[in-house]
Amino acid sequence: MGRRDVGAGAQLLLAASGDERFPPEGILDGNTETFWMTTGMFPQEFVISFPDLVQINNVKIHCFNVCGLSIETSLAKDPVDFELLCEKELLRSEDQLQVQEFEQREASARHLRFVIHSGFDHFVSVHKVSVEGEAAND
Amino acid sequence: MVKLRAKCIVAGDPAVGKSALAQVFRSESAHFPKNYTLTTGVEVFVKSVSIPDTNDSVELFLLDSSGKEIFYDMVAKQWENSGALCLVYDITNEVSFNSCSKWLERARAQAPGGQLPAVLVGNKTDLAARRTVEYKEAEEWAASQGLEYFETSAKEMENYETPFHSLARAFHRMYEERVELVKSLV
Ligand SMILES: Nc1nc2c(ncn2[C@@H]2O[C@H](COP(=O)(O)OP(=O)(O)O)[C@@H](O)[C@H]2O)c(=O)[nH]1
Ligand SMILES: [Mg+2]
Repeated sequence: MGRRDVGAGAQLLLAASGDERFPPEGILDGNTETFWMTTGMFPQEFVISFPDLVQINNVKIHCFNVCGLSIETSLAKDPVDFELLCEKELLRSEDQLQVQEFEQREASARHLRFVIHSGFDHFVSVHKVSVEGEAAND
Repeated sequence: MVKLRAKCIVAGDPAVGKSALAQVFRSESAHFPKNYTLTTGVEVFVKSVSIPDTNDSVELFLLDSSGKEIFYDMVAKQWENSGALCLVYDITNEVSFNSCSKWLERARAQAPGGQLPAVLVGNKTDLAARRTVEYKEAEEWAASQGLEYFETSAKEMENYETPFHSLARAFHRMYEERVELVKSLV
């Protein structure tokens, strides 16, 4: 069974947004030109929810000025009971987006929570998140 | 419509009027706090400031910090990721003015990217007869650090809003600049 984008049908939940020009939907539309901009203070978080359980191989994020980032998973129907999947301090990038991949083995999730603990600036943006894997019931 | 949020720290030596200033700003019309209590650690409250000529606002999460060194470790932790700094001294107390560079340095060291909108406030203008720091001297030092300078009397409730409104505007300006930067990257 090949890897594929399991983003189709995924939904974005729980992102606080203070600027309607840059809503969190910009994260999942597959386009790096649209983005979610945080509007001050840390931590910041958003949750991606899949219609079914997925087996995740790879998570890739395009963002700007993000420093401390962690990804958590939940198997529950509702986005609760998150467990830490991985955590990373991203490298600073001055004049292009940061691109960070997280290779995963055997990570199942129904929801993925991204927590941005700190930034290289007061405001950070998230342009795209892509998740590769297999739907668990394939 | 943009709603921003900034952790705003109020810093300076003990007894310069940080708590008094924060409290009159919080309650606007309410009265000057009569009982003098030493701030231990940190107190937080939230106040929303509208940005003129826009529909935007900045919610300031005001942190009133203790200026006592013994609390500094605790305070330093609370200062992480702050978005604005209100630096206060007492115009009748030169030592408190001289401490400002120390407080400014500490606060900037904690801010994301080292960048922190800040204002300098000379408080207790009602005691102008006992003034030991000249307006011009303070203004010049502030300008050299890139800060706007204001004088207030928390006691007489004079000018106490202006420094906070200025900080909110500076934070908002910084946000709009960042938005333009990010747009230019994609
Ligand atoms: N005359 C005068 N006294 C003030 C003013 N602001 C504060 N105080 C007094 O200065 C003392 C210290 O004030 P406080 O707000 O606790 O200072 P903090 O330690 O910097 O928080 C108290 O006795 C206040 O009543 C002011 O504008 N004028
Ligand atoms: Mg105090």
